[in-house]
Amino acid sequence: MKNLTLILVLAFMSSLTALASEYEEAMKAQIQKMNNISSDAEAQDVKNGFLRIAQANMSEWLPMYYAALVQTEAGLRFDVDKDAYFEEAQSYLKILQDAGASNSEITALEGYIMMGMVSVDPGSRGQSMSGPTMETFGKAIGQDRSNPRAVYLMAQMERGIAQFFGQGTEKACGMFKMSLDLFEKEKEKIDENYLLPSWGYEQAKQMYESCN
Amino acid sequence: MSTRLILFFFLLMSQHVALTQTTISGIILDHKGKELPGANIMIKGSYDGTTADISGKFSFETSKEGFQILLIKMMGFKAVETVIECTGGEIEVGNLTLKEEITDMNAVTISAGALEASDENKAVVLRPLDIVTTPSAMGDITGALQTLPGTSTVGNDGRLFVRGGDASEVGIYIDGLFVGNAYGSRVANVPTRTRFNPNLFKGTFFSTGGYSAEFGQALSSALALSTKDLSVRNQGDLSIMSVGGGYSHTFSSEKQSITASANYFDLGPYQSLINQNFDFESPANGWDFEVASQKKLSKGGHLKALFRTEGGGMELWQPVPGVEGRGVRIKLNNDYTYGQANWSNFLSNDWTMFGGVSYSRNVDNILYDSLKIKNTGETLHAKTYGIKDFSDRISMKLGLEFFRQNYSEALPNENLQRNFKDNRIFAYTEWDWYLSSKLVFRTGLRAGSSDLSSQLWADPRVSFAFQISDASKVSLAAGTFNQMPVENFRVLNPNLANSEAKHLIANYFFQKEGRTFRAEAFYKGYNNLVTFDGNQMDMSNLQNEGEGYAQGLDIFFRDQSTIRNTDYWVTYSFVDSKRQFDQFETQVQPSFAPRHNFSLVIKHFITNLNSQIGFSFTANDGYTYTDPNLNGEMNSKTKSFQNLSLSWSYLPKPNLIIHLACTNVLGRENVFGYSFSQTPNEDGVYVSLPSGQVAPRFLFLGVFLTLSKDKTANQLNNL
Repeated sequence: MKNLTLILVLAFMSSLTALASEYEEAMKAQIQKMNNISSDAEAQDVKNGFLRIAQANMSEWLPMYYAALVQTEAGLRFDVDKDAYFEEAQSYLKILQDAGASNSEITALEGYIMMGMVSVDPGSRGQSMSGPTMETFGKAIGQDRSNPRAVYLMAQMERGIAQFFGQGTEKACGMFKMSLDLFEKEKEKIDENYLLPSWGYEQAKQMYESCN
Repeated sequence: MSTRLILFFFLLMSQHVALTQTTISGIILDHKGKELPGANIMIKGSYDGTTADISGKFSFETSKEGFQILLIKMMGFKAVETVIECTGGEIEVGNLTLKEEITDMNAVTISAGALEASDENKAVVLRPLDIVTTPSAMGDITGALQTLPGTSTVGNDGRLFVRGGDASEVGIYIDGLFVGNAYGSRVANVPTRTRFNPNLFKGTFFSTGGYSAEFGQALSSALALSTKDLSVRNQGDLSIMSVGGGYSHTFSSEKQSITASANYFDLGPYQSLINQNFDFESPANGWDFEVASQKKLSKGGHLKALFRTEGGGMELWQPVPGVEGRGVRIKLNNDYTYGQANWSNFLSNDWTMFGGVSYSRNVDNILYDSLKIKNTGETLHAKTYGIKDFSDRISMKLGLEFFRQNYSEALPNENLQRNFKDNRIFAYTEWDWYLSSKLVFRTGLRAGSSDLSSQLWADPRVSFAFQISDASKVSLAAGTFNQMPVENFRVLNPNLANSEAKHLIANYFFQKEGRTFRAEAFYKGYNNLVTFDGNQMDMSNLQNEGEGYAQGLDIFFRDQSTIRNTDYWVTYSFVDSKRQFDQFETQVQPSFAPRHNFSLVIKHFITNLNSQIGFSFTANDGYTYTDPNLNGEMNSKTKSFQNLSLSWSYLPKPNLIIHLACTNVLGRENVFGYSFSQTPNEDGVYVSLPSGQVAPRFLFLGVFLTLSKDKTANQLNNL
């Protein structure tokens, strides 16, 4: 009888591990693809991949998060209907938020999308939207002070506002530096099985270099 | 180990060992039968799937077996599910058609009569910020709306006049709840302003006709203001102005926020420096205190409350035509209180519910020469409605409203008083029918009853919109609109019934890449307008005997993209209106309905000066008036009204704004009408005095500073 129980438990666990690793493998493959997007068609394909993983793993926030991230960056990078892309990205975050998911990465991405929307029409949106965007980044930092993306994105917004008002970008540059330090700390945790958001280092580095 | 156990173990294992591969392929088409690229095709509950290519084709492998659900998803379309049986080999599912899903993002909206200022919606003509930065508006919501099509500027009044209608024909609502006496009380040709600060609102929906069955008690126009949602940060706002100052403080947390503000103004110091045309004994002054609070509810709903109380007054001498001296002394003291609370939330089964109550109380103490008058008005409004989405194509709104109105006019020294009380009940329903995302019909019915006039009535309304192309659409609206006469008429004759207007509106709307063009033609027929014998100061025999019409065309063009850092809009409104009303014995063109109305607003941002320069020019062809020296009524017209205003906003820091503005820079002597002596002089001539402007120009200087100590700001400062 003992053996039976043991075998049953082992079998059950092996099937669980298989499921779990299937998720991890699929995510890893998608993240890999995400890092090599060079056209909108590829972006849509990668986004769809994440959405498929999301519908099969309703309790995970990462697949939906990445779908929103891919759509946001596609809107920023490619010649598409930007507002429609940002609105779609927002709709994915809303699904997460409606399900009660809330963390620094989700909030930072929410601000990133708002920043994208401002960039479509800075003249008429900047004045009304930059305040709420900054506040969203502030909230993301408040949720996790070690999130390098929240600091980096806020630095980018800060730089935009400072340039707009003809002020120095010292504060923004200090924030870029701070985000780089946080990115360095984050790097220590990253291995080949790391699925959590880790994007932004290259952009932050470039921004910081443009400071000097 | 028994054989049975080993078998069982293998059976368990086999669940995740791929045995057979099935290839599934097909073509995705949209509702028009066109190939649709980009759709997400998957086996439900698995990771297997793919994206449809540029010609809508797809093909992918799955290791799933047996009956599976093939799920196709795409933004803007309804998901499709179909059952397939995976048995290895190839499955060709053929053409799969996706039906478009009608959402807030892609659905056509009805533009007939509608002018919207909002950050949230797309098809808007203004942003909330535009209201504050329009030079001629001087920070007044009404002032900014007067640069929009369908309105007329009446410079000695200040209120909104829409398409040949008088100021009382505009119903003003905050979060759907009625606002009594939304404008400051006015006397003797001194223009007034909206009582409420534009910063309270996130959106303004201004309809110049054909509006929803949700709104009644307005013959011409509905102005629906929606208050801001949760404030996200703690902050203090300090304003120091040439005419006064104020402070406002916001406390906020994750789920709720509250803003309290207090302001004081006194035109005394300003008027002692700059000469006025009017003979003020005591210049206008006042104070206000306001609290607004918001609470976020689970499921995305809100609980909001707003309370405002204010007091103020002025005293001046009004010259009397044909009489020497300073004229009549008029003194006004006003006390006003407004409070409201409303709740809205999403319920299960696709219901959205709203409930709210508002209360307005206005007391005017007027001293006219030696006559003391006290007018007191109170309105209570309770309202509830529910919206049910039956599908993405059909939605229904059902509402119920109750109004309680008390009004009294008293002469305290004579111990005389007259008053009325009225209870009104309304029920309304409105249905939206989307035949596609490009075509919508709206049908509405509003029924009402008044116990004072013992009247029952029903107003049917219908509108329609069709999207012609991505950038352009046409809308039509028609309907009946009833309104009880104004308080000072009803108090004299409580049996007065509704006045009625019928609207017919055709609208063309085009919006693309920062350019908006809007043209609208309208016809409005009036029935049962109130007429009386005598004059405004001494009315008798009030009846619902008047009628008339207003018809015309208005054009609006806004361009934010052609000239760098420049945003401008041009408006032209033509109104042909005649009506028999008030003391008039024939149909006349009302003094508040100039035929040709024009306005141009330009805002230019100078980046290296951190400044925005504002320019606005408003003109019309003059106001009609009756010259008793000539035959007939409304037999004369003033010269053209023109006002050129300039403003300069300087933003040295993100939290500091310095605003300088000047109206009527050119100092044009505008005249809004003439008053005549009651009797002719010895030469048989009625002597006249022009009703002009309070002063040739109004100069305004304000410094607005935002102080914030919240986490965000701290974090910014710490980095």
